[in-house]
Amino acid sequence: MKKFLNLLRKEIKELITVQLIVSLAFTIVLFYFIGNIARSEMSKVQGVKDVSVLDLDQSDLSGEILRNLAFANFRINLLDVNNKDMAIDKVRKENLSLLLVIPSGFADSVSNFQPKEIETYVFVRSFSVGSSINSELVNQIIVSINNYLSDNILKNKVPDISPSILKNPIKNRSFIVVKDKVAEGSISDVNNFVTSQTIFIPIILMMILVYSSQMVLSAIAMEKQDKTLETLLTVPISRNHIVIAKMLASGLVGLVSAGIYMIGFRFYMGGFMGNISTSGQVSEVIEKLNLRFTPNTYIFLGISLFLAILCALALATILGVLSEDLRSAQSASLPLVFLVLIPYFLTMFSDLNTLSLPLKIIVLAIPFTYPFLASQNLILGNYSIVIYGILYMLFVFVVLVFIAGRIFSTDKVLTMKLRFGRKVR
Amino acid sequence: MTVILRVKGLKKSYGKIIALKGIDFEVNEGEIFALIGPNGAGKSTTLRIIATLLSPDEGTVELIGYDIRKDPEKIRERISYLPEEAGAYKNLTGIDYLRFMANFYAKNEEEVEEFVKKGERIAELGERLKDKVGTYSKGMVRKLLLARTLMIKPTLAILDEPTSGLDVINSLEIREIIRDFVKEGVSVLLSSHNMLEIEFLSDRVAIIDNGRILETGTPQELKDKYSSRNLEEVFRRIVAYEKVS
Repeated sequence: MKKFLNLLRKEIKELITVQLIVSLAFTIVLFYFIGNIARSEMSKVQGVKDVSVLDLDQSDLSGEILRNLAFANFRINLLDVNNKDMAIDKVRKENLSLLLVIPSGFADSVSNFQPKEIETYVFVRSFSVGSSINSELVNQIIVSINNYLSDNILKNKVPDISPSILKNPIKNRSFIVVKDKVAEGSISDVNNFVTSQTIFIPIILMMILVYSSQMVLSAIAMEKQDKTLETLLTVPISRNHIVIAKMLASGLVGLVSAGIYMIGFRFYMGGFMGNISTSGQVSEVIEKLNLRFTPNTYIFLGISLFLAILCALALATILGVLSEDLRSAQSASLPLVFLVLIPYFLTMFSDLNTLSLPLKIIVLAIPFTYPFLASQNLILGNYSIVIYGILYMLFVFVVLVFIAGRIFSTDKVLTMKLRFGRKVR
Repeated sequence: MTVILRVKGLKKSYGKIIALKGIDFEVNEGEIFALIGPNGAGKSTTLRIIATLLSPDEGTVELIGYDIRKDPEKIRERISYLPEEAGAYKNLTGIDYLRFMANFYAKNEEEVEEFVKKGERIAELGERLKDKVGTYSKGMVRKLLLARTLMIKPTLAILDEPTSGLDVINSLEIREIIRDFVKEGVSVLLSSHNMLEIEFLSDRVAIIDNGRILETGTPQELKDKYSSRNLEEVFRRIVAYEKVS
């Protein structure tokens, strides 16, 4: 055990380089910086919205509309000019983004049921998230004005009936069914909640798998490149312990690195998504449908993630042996990265059940598919696929470790190479 | 004299290439035994088999009674191997590297410190031992590696081209270190294609070519037998004789 710990300490020391620490610190700072910028941009967009208005009608109705817009969180900047061109020029010069022009005779046209065009101008100065939201604001303004006008007309014509009943005579009660549980609520709200709870899991998993694998690949390739492997293989320690120490050290450093990256990523995503909160109504639906993570689901998810990491480390160990140096280790890592990315994207953007049978078989043969499937299946109570995945990954891990152990205990650890042309003398 | 290493009928192939065609030799306690021969003669393959890195196709290797196939771990506890092209971990300091290696062989902390102190003395790198290995010159790395190989007082030190790629001064220093080390009663098996180095260092020599040992003896015996002034001439005559026969 003393020898193993000695080796493990060395492996960790070798992996934690100044470059790694600097790159992790830089990533956190960068993500934090971008996240803060995004957050401030989003808060500008979500806060009070400025709109410049040229009211050529100057009627009671146009005044009512502007008051209504102010009530809908718009800050009205009434322009003191005589025509549209001057208004456009003024808004451009003052670096504002939205202009609303209410034409003269607007109130009369509305009262005579003759549609009159309100003109809106969006001033584009960049193609950032904030600027694209400006066009959405225009729609909000028009919807807001239309609602106000139609409600007023309906109130005047049919005073005994609420305008909302007249506009929406059919009401819908939406129910969600999960297995034997039924709850009234909106599927989009539930979807948003589940996504907010599970969106980070595949990203974390993907990062941990790729990071840890590259660590172990580099650790073995570095031993070859720096000509230290031969010496290490002749010291009195079991070859299996050498493999395990490398895998464990890489797993630990990969886990910590991925964790640090995720903290940075959370800053970054927080900038775009803000703090996701759940309303009481949605919580009630979630509770009724039993869509929450329980200690049991966490245990299954943890086992699934852990086994996926072990499989990746074992496969990376074999690929590391095939590499002659760091450069070939990078090439050797590609198959593993693909094996992680395929299920990552497929489970993120498509439903496994809708895939064709051959594709489905291929995807299910990749051990890394199962942890990606685990989180949503556990929430939905589909334990069978998760358990099957755990057993399958365990089998793959045992096979891979056996192969890695065999390679390390024979000449192959020195003679196996990606370029088979050169032989060890 | 006690035989500590016995090699018999050693054969090894890499695919169609036959590297060793049946090697036999013995190393006695406290002697420096050298394998000399040209590049590709089979020296490194022989040393790698004895160092438990490669498995032989045929033949036996026994170190103080332990068989290389049955007890590789026991053999690893008693040998120390310096490969021809070797490096040390660049992110460790010289002293950390010596301590890291000492921990595999020492029975307790006291012995670790004893090995490290001995390593410091052999390496003669002074304060530079506190620097990271990545900052060392090639000669310094080689001295550190030699210190690592010898500090643990192995039963058999296996040195593959110990002065390979070094300048004259560093080579001389390393030869002296090896010479001093053997005075402590440890055996050395080394390989080199530098015949003059071997003549200076070795008690006995085996001349190896094309996977076979052609001649074994002390440098003086071989020089007398082949009426030569040095081992280079001996080697030339043996190889020429082999070609004719």
